[in-house]
Amino acid sequence: MRRRPGIGGLQTAAAARDQYRLLGENVAKLRTDLMKEQLVTFRSQLEEFARKHKNDIRKNPAFRSQFHEMCAKVGVDPLASNKGFWAELLGIGDFYYELGVQIVDICLVTRPHNGGLIKLEELCKLLGQRRKSAREAVSEDDCLRAISKLKVLGSGFEVISVGKSKLIRSVPTELNKDHNEILELAQSQGFVTVEEVQRRLSWSSGRATDALEILLDEGLAMIDDGHRDGRRRYWFPCVSSASSYVGADTL
Amino acid sequence: MQELGDFKLPPFFNYPPYFTLQPVRDTREKQVQLWKDLILNYCKTQNIFVIGLEEDSPLFTNPVIERSVSHEAREAFLSALVSDGRAEWMDKGHRKCLILWHRIQDWADLILSFVKENGLEDSVMTVEEIRSGPESQGTELHGMDRTVLMRALKLLEHKGKLAIFKGTPADEEGVKFSL
Repeated sequence: MRRRPGIGGLQTAAAARDQYRLLGENVAKLRTDLMKEQLVTFRSQLEEFARKHKNDIRKNPAFRSQFHEMCAKVGVDPLASNKGFWAELLGIGDFYYELGVQIVDICLVTRPHNGGLIKLEELCKLLGQRRKSAREAVSEDDCLRAISKLKVLGSGFEVISVGKSKLIRSVPTELNKDHNEILELAQSQGFVTVEEVQRRLSWSSGRATDALEILLDEGLAMIDDGHRDGRRRYWFPCVSSASSYVGADTL
Repeated sequence: MQELGDFKLPPFFNYPPYFTLQPVRDTREKQVQLWKDLILNYCKTQNIFVIGLEEDSPLFTNPVIERSVSHEAREAFLSALVSDGRAEWMDKGHRKCLILWHRIQDWADLILSFVKENGLEDSVMTVEEIRSGPESQGTELHGMDRTVLMRALKLLEHKGKLAIFKGTPADEEGVKFSL
């Protein structure tokens, strides 16, 4: 199209721009409305679902975990507030706060024994023993969720991964990579020796001894000079599930 | 869980590092506490009053995990009991230790209630009768250590609850209660 000069041409161009803008706004509005409508529908569906399966969510840990996953996917956090609709509907907020308090308690009671590091399975087991009277079963997923809620307290509760298993740390110890590798190594037998660390991880004896000494000082390891081969063994109560050796009955 | 006769051993007894004295303070405190409880409990249920450090005691050895508490550690555990007032060294070399699962004062109270229950308020008994006579059968006094018993009796004598007198034959000491 040939460009037309003059004021008329400019006016036509401006008018066309306005038309495009209007059309664009209309389309956007339509989309937003549609989205809003879909969200409302979705929300009500989710609410209905939650209401319908309230008991399952409360009582069945596997179901609860799946529900959480579903909520997370659509950006709903049923634990975000204790006052919101979700908490009122399900009461799961309280459930996790209660778990959190019990987890803190267990970590404190077992700390003299394990130095403030406890296996997730162990924690879950002790939690189960303590909650015997409560109706709801507790899964490891629930533990992790409750611990993540503890973070807002800034109390330094943290989940760390060592090899395949997860440990809960309740003391502000900084575990570096060396310490982690030793803990991973110790998982098979519950203990390591300096020689074993040197051999398996190809470390110098100084590096192995240093790392073990630090773990010892932090109360995470205990020495054992009683084996007949005369080699000092470093035991790790946190990985050898030795909390069942001590403390379980005092909980 | 293992058992020693009819005594149920605590779970930590199966964890090898508890048999080595721990170098780190916090860990050692926990360890010592567990052993103190075990020693007192064991002696109480087994009616043991004296622990010899050099003797082989099932209390300090776990054959299942092949561990035995070292002499140094035994002395540390018992010393902790001594500073709690729950044990006393019987010699300077710390080879023998008297375990007071009841303190002397508590033993004295037990004697007093025994006397009252049996209506012996102003009777005469020999020390041997208190330890092994038919009256004390079934009470904690039965078979108790003579040294501990004498200490408790002397405490009561000091309080004017009884008088100890030398009997005939000379080694048969007697007691006259006066409650």
